[in-house]
Amino acid sequence: MSAPRAVLDALHATIVGQDEVCEGLVLAVVAGGHVLLEGAPGVAKTLACRALAAAVGGVFRRVQFTPDLLPSDVTGTRIFDQKSGEFTTVLGPLFANVVLADEINRAPAKVQSALLEGMQERRATIGPQTHDLPTPFLVLATMNPYDAEGTYPLPHAQLDRFLTKLVVAYPSLEEERTIVDRFGAGEPPLLADVVTLDDVRRWQREAHAVFVDAKVRDYAVALVRASREADLVVHGASPRAALALVALARARAYLEGRAFATPDDVRDIAPSVLRHRLSYDDRIALGDRDPEEVVRRIVAAVRAP
Amino acid sequence: MTSLAASAQGYRRLHITALSMRVDHRSVQVEQVFHVAIHVHVTETVANLDELVIPDVGVLEPMGDERAVSHATGGTDVVETLTLAAAQPGVVTLRPAYLDAIDPKSGKALRFSSNSLRIVVVTARAAGASDRSPGIARTFLLVFGVVIGGVSFLIAIVLVVLLVQSRRRAGVVVAAPVVVAPPPGPPVRSPREDVEAALRRYRTSPANGTLHELRAALFVAAGASPGGTLRDALAETSNGALRRALTAAEGAAFGPEAMRDAASTDLIAATERWLA
Repeated sequence: MSAPRAVLDALHATIVGQDEVCEGLVLAVVAGGHVLLEGAPGVAKTLACRALAAAVGGVFRRVQFTPDLLPSDVTGTRIFDQKSGEFTTVLGPLFANVVLADEINRAPAKVQSALLEGMQERRATIGPQTHDLPTPFLVLATMNPYDAEGTYPLPHAQLDRFLTKLVVAYPSLEEERTIVDRFGAGEPPLLADVVTLDDVRRWQREAHAVFVDAKVRDYAVALVRASREADLVVHGASPRAALALVALARARAYLEGRAFATPDDVRDIAPSVLRHRLSYDDRIALGDRDPEEVVRRIVAAVRAP
Repeated sequence: MTSLAASAQGYRRLHITALSMRVDHRSVQVEQVFHVAIHVHVTETVANLDELVIPDVGVLEPMGDERAVSHATGGTDVVETLTLAAAQPGVVTLRPAYLDAIDPKSGKALRFSSNSLRIVVVTARAAGASDRSPGIARTFLLVFGVVIGGVSFLIAIVLVVLLVQSRRRAGVVVAAPVVVAPPPGPPVRSPREDVEAALRRYRTSPANGTLHELRAALFVAAGASPGGTLRDALAETSNGALRRALTAAEGAAFGPEAMRDAASTDLIAATERWLA
């Protein structure tokens, strides 16, 4: 029986640095939620997703989101079979255990909706039939904060469906040197099938049983409520954010081998849960203020129990 | 201190160790806002001191009146802050604030009084003239002070005569004025002593409240603020025994019910090891 730390080690074997991103990906697997990764081109967003998919095993699909993509390219379609004279269903790339939605904001809203409905309901409708998505089912979506021209920003209601948003930063000088040394010769190695899908299902069950004290729960709720009253924030986080905080705090405790969540668990994962759930006023949009600073202030303002 | 012969039944038994009145500016301009703070310290823990009678501010305009009550190990501190402004120039004397209570030492009903205050109010023009020509202003103030001093002296004599007469009528004995001492701060305890005290309370009554008190005391002992997390506290100390106690406190505070007894035992043992 493997532990989630095996997946974390597999990610570290491929990705140089990016400790928070690697841990965030494993936490999302354990908590059974979807991940949005944001970062400049070339910072290993896609590589991190591929490394995770390889380590977890199961079926992996990648969809490059483009402006001409159609919903059926994601969910699947019905094709007329001339031999049998009937329509047969062809399942789309959504029917996989790990789906990489690359540059999700480059596809129109209709395609994003098809993906996001699947994420929420864990099923997809093709023609007259509704099909359940496999378990575990994890969507890893990447987004580039630059080159905004020709993109379709995700509405807040849809961003809320991502359990966590991880920011993939540029590597440090030393990490960048290591990247050149390690991967200069060719493709980076991916450790495949480090754990099984049964392992993942078991983690999810066990993590769900991790104890959360009322004080820790209240701390999570206080953070979410504080986001609604924060300076520069027009709309704060929804109650779904409080659920996400508790789910990820449980996952983090499980990853650390603890039977209970602590205030540290909540505080550490709070920025990744809150940052994509807040809508800011114009000063943020104009670039006068840093949204990450707003999130940091919210977290710092709430006393831990 | 003045003993009170009658109607003592309604008084509370209070051990008053300080009663003072201070002003932030002894000389103010007309319409300038200033503050008078009345401080009382009693060794008892009380919710409020309704007995405290603040002086009549007379011609001064009251702009605000806030009372703060704080509790510490040494009793209760009550600070009443009056925000005032003067409408006209002159010298204003605020009579002492006082409160009536039963002195626990003597068992007698006494009136405890603060000091009085004297505030000089000058016009803005006089203050400006003072800036331009300090010599003239000084002379003016000197003459003004002498006149006011004389008047005050006469008023004081009249008041003393009236007071003596009224006491003769009521049969009240004049006692020496209360010695207004600065408030004795709560006894300073080291963080280690706080942990010892919190541990004692937790052992006596191992409830959620005493557990979190002990955890908070350990946080402070480590150098972290009580609003921080375990990681903040661990980052502040390299003492292995204290780190183990902090970690054990986390398990006892946030662990599941089934683990609480074992976690509590760990916490007590780890804290004792650190204290040893």
